This record gives sequence, structure tokens and C-alpha cells, in this order.
Amino acid sequence: MKTNGQGTTVLVRRIVIAAMMVAITVLLGLLPVGGFIPFPTGVNATTLHIPAIVGGILEGWMVGGLIGLFFGLFSLIRAATPIFKDPLVAIIPRLFIGITAYLAYAGLKRFNELVAVGVGAAIGTGTNTVLVLGLAVLRGYMSISLAGTVALTHGIPEIIVAVVITVSVVAAWRQISTRPRGSTV
Amino acid sequence: MSQLEFLRYVTIGQYLGRDSIIHRLDPRFKLLAFTLIVVAVTFSSTYTANVLLVLMVALLLSLSKLPLGHTLRGLRPALPALALLALFQMLFPPQSFGPAQDCTVIWQWGFVTLTTCTLQLIVVSTARLVELFVLTSLLTFSTTTTELVHGTEGVLAPLQRIGFPAHELTLVVTIALRFVPTLALQMERLVKAQIARGADFGTSGPFRIIKATRRLLPLLVPLFLISLRRSEALIVAMDARGYTGGRQRTQRRRLHAGPTDYVALIAATGFCVAILWIDTISLDQVLIAWLDTFLASLK
Repeated sequence: MKTNGQGTTVLVRRIVIAAMMVAITVLLGLLPVGGFIPFPTGVNATTLHIPAIVGGILEGWMVGGLIGLFFGLFSLIRAATPIFKDPLVAIIPRLFIGITAYLAYAGLKRFNELVAVGVGAAIGTGTNTVLVLGLAVLRGYMSISLAGTVALTHGIPEIIVAVVITVSVVAAWRQISTRPRGSTV
Repeated sequence: MSQLEFLRYVTIGQYLGRDSIIHRLDPRFKLLAFTLIVVAVTFSSTYTANVLLVLMVALLLSLSKLPLGHTLRGLRPALPALALLALFQMLFPPQSFGPAQDCTVIWQWGFVTLTTCTLQLIVVSTARLVELFVLTSLLTFSTTTTELVHGTEGVLAPLQRIGFPAHELTLVVTIALRFVPTLALQMERLVKAQIARGADFGTSGPFRIIKATRRLLPLLVPLFLISLRRSEALIVAMDARGYTGGRQRTQRRRLHAGPTDYVALIAATGFCVAILWIDTISLDQVLIAWLDTFLASLK
């Protein structure tokens, strides 16, 4: 049986972390606080994709993709925004959030772990925004120019929120120091 | 203060018990049939197909014996967004979908032009979203969460032979659903702790984006860390009990399919194929031409 350095099995770890992140996604989607940031445009910016990013960065692309799958299914069943009733728009983009976040993080990890986490969160969020709007355009719900405007007004704030929260969570969990270390003399 | 009782919002199971054929279907067959009809809705792009789909949804709704008002009430919060979507589709027409056809201008005012193609796009996509809305409500109202989880596992079970982790996937859902109420209570405590320190939830307008975002940090970061800590405890507990995945695992509840289930699945398959077929032949034009000649014969 595959075990990791801490002696727990990889399979159990993946199942449990994925489940817990799915639980956070569902919870944020149901509660009146936490999941959405009200915006003057009437469409809310969301934080629901952050668990997929955190899961992807902590446990790899498979866990990230799995959380994304269940996030997609959840928004298909419960979302009040009509375009997410289209299964193509709801599920496919979400599959890739955790995967791209993990790939960006894994690629940059050896330079600076915190920066890698931040870039991973930004890329994961960007994947969500670009793919959701891209599929909305392909499926004929929006014109390209309108999708571009939404990408700018919502994508950028969502990226900032996701980066701040993901970096705080991963830094605290992995106990990465966020301040420059003192002299080692 | 009743807004702070977060367990009130945790309504994942929306099951409404009725003694109907839809409620009694084997969850595996119900899920497969549901998926097929959703595929049909998703890929329908013509008027004819959508008229048939609306009729199908209405038939299923009446078979399920669910109260019509209750099912449609869920649609109400989505109506403004649906209207906005249609408006934007009219003002900034996206690329049309479906078979290529000639577009003729029906109505023009200033820079706004409504062609037959845009009209079809608006009508079809609105109809599709409403159909999908009713279908998903129908599924969640007529199936308990446990049935959904068991059904999903049953549907995916054959894939386990080629190494697909069907059991593990359903375990993820089971654990997630188990922890949503626990985390809701945790979140309630976090929000109350912030309020006790003078935080202000609930009175921010849409123009206080930065304020609204900064308020989220002391809630979300601890929520993540607490749930990760709980995960570690659960991982150790499952490991200590020797959990090794599900290949030889048996179930306490076994599902049995009857003739009704097979009939339902076959009917759904036939319906899905028919809808996809109608979309490929241009039945719309034929029907519109018939209607034209019929109206002409009346004059």
C-alpha cells in the first residue's frame, strides 16, 4: 500500500481532503455569508472555487480535479444563476480549476513556495473565469465583447480574493514563514 | 439574530415524499434516465425539439405528483437573471448555434436588430435553461440524498473493473455531506466571534467591495484551517481502522431493479435519440412551411 512520509495512506488522505474541500464549497454555496461578494454589476463575485485551488495545491491535480467535479455538479443542482443550469458551463470549467492551479504551483515551487501558491491561485481562478465565459460564448449565451467585460470586472477581483485567501491558508497550514527571516549569523 | 443560525441554510436534501412512479424508480435507473434527458436538453437547438422537451418535462412533473407551485417557485429568483440574459442576447447578439440558416431581420430599432436567428437563440436558450431548472428540481425533490449517493455508486460500479475509483468517489460525497452541518456550526461560531469583536455583517452595499472582501478573510482562513485539522484526525482514524478502498466491499442496502425501471430507461434513451435526431433534420423549417400554407389556405 502506498504511504507517504507521515505514514498515512495516500488514498485515504486524498479521499478525506477532497471530501472536506467539497464540504466547504457546498457550505459556502448555501450560507448567506462567505460564498459571494456583492458587486455593483448585480452579478456576485464568488469564492466557491477556492477549495478546489487549495485542494489541488495541497494534494495534487487529482484531488483538485475531483473537488472541481463536485463543485460543478453542486452548482448544476443548486445555482440560481441560469447559465449554470447548462451542464457544459457548470461542470467542464470547474474540472480544470484545481488541475491548472496545481500545475502552476508545481512548476514554480522550487523558486519560491509562497509565490508559487499565489500564482497557482491566480491561474486556477483565471481558468474558471476564462472557461466559464468561453463556454458561455460557445453555447450562445453571451457575445464575445460582453464576456470580455465580465472577465475584467469579475475575474480580476476574484483573482485577488483567491490569491489572498489561498496564500494565507497554505502558508499557515504548511507553516511557511511569510516574513523575511532574521539574520542567520 | 435568527440569521445567525446557519444550520437553517443547510438544506441539501430537498426531498418531498410522494407516492409516485418517479419517486419509486431505482435511483441508478433514475440517474441514467435523468442524464439522458439532460443531454437531450443541452444539445437541442430547434423550436420543435424544445416544444417536445417542455411537454416531456411537464409529463414527468405530473407523473411525480409533486406540487406544481412548489417546484416552479424555485425558478422565481432566477427570473431576473434569465430576463437579463435574454436582453443581452438581443442587444449584443452572440454567434448563433445549430445548423446554419438564413437570417432575416424581423424588427429593427436604432442599433438593435432582431433577426430570426437571434430570436431562435433567445427562445431556445431560455427554454433550455427553464427545462434544466425544472429537471434538476424534479430529481432532487423525488430522490433522497442517500439514494442519490447509492445510485451514483451503482451507475459507476461497472467502471471499477477498468480501475475507475467509483466507490472512492461516492465516499468523497458521503464524507462531504456528513461534514457540511459540522462546518456550518463552525462557521456560525466564527461569524459570532467576529461580531463580538465589532465586525459588521449584512449592511454593506454593493459598492463596498474591498470592505466586503476584507470581512471574509477572518472567516474563510480559519474555516479552511479547522477543516484541514479535522481531515488529519479523520485520516488517522480511517487508517487506524484499516480502510483500504472499496473493491471487495459489500453494501448494507442493495438496489433491485424492476420492469418499470427498465421501461423508464428505454423510454428516456428513445426520447434522447429522437430529440438529437430532430435537431439534425430541419424539421422547424418544414413545420413553419406547413403552417404558412395552412394559414394561406384559411384566407
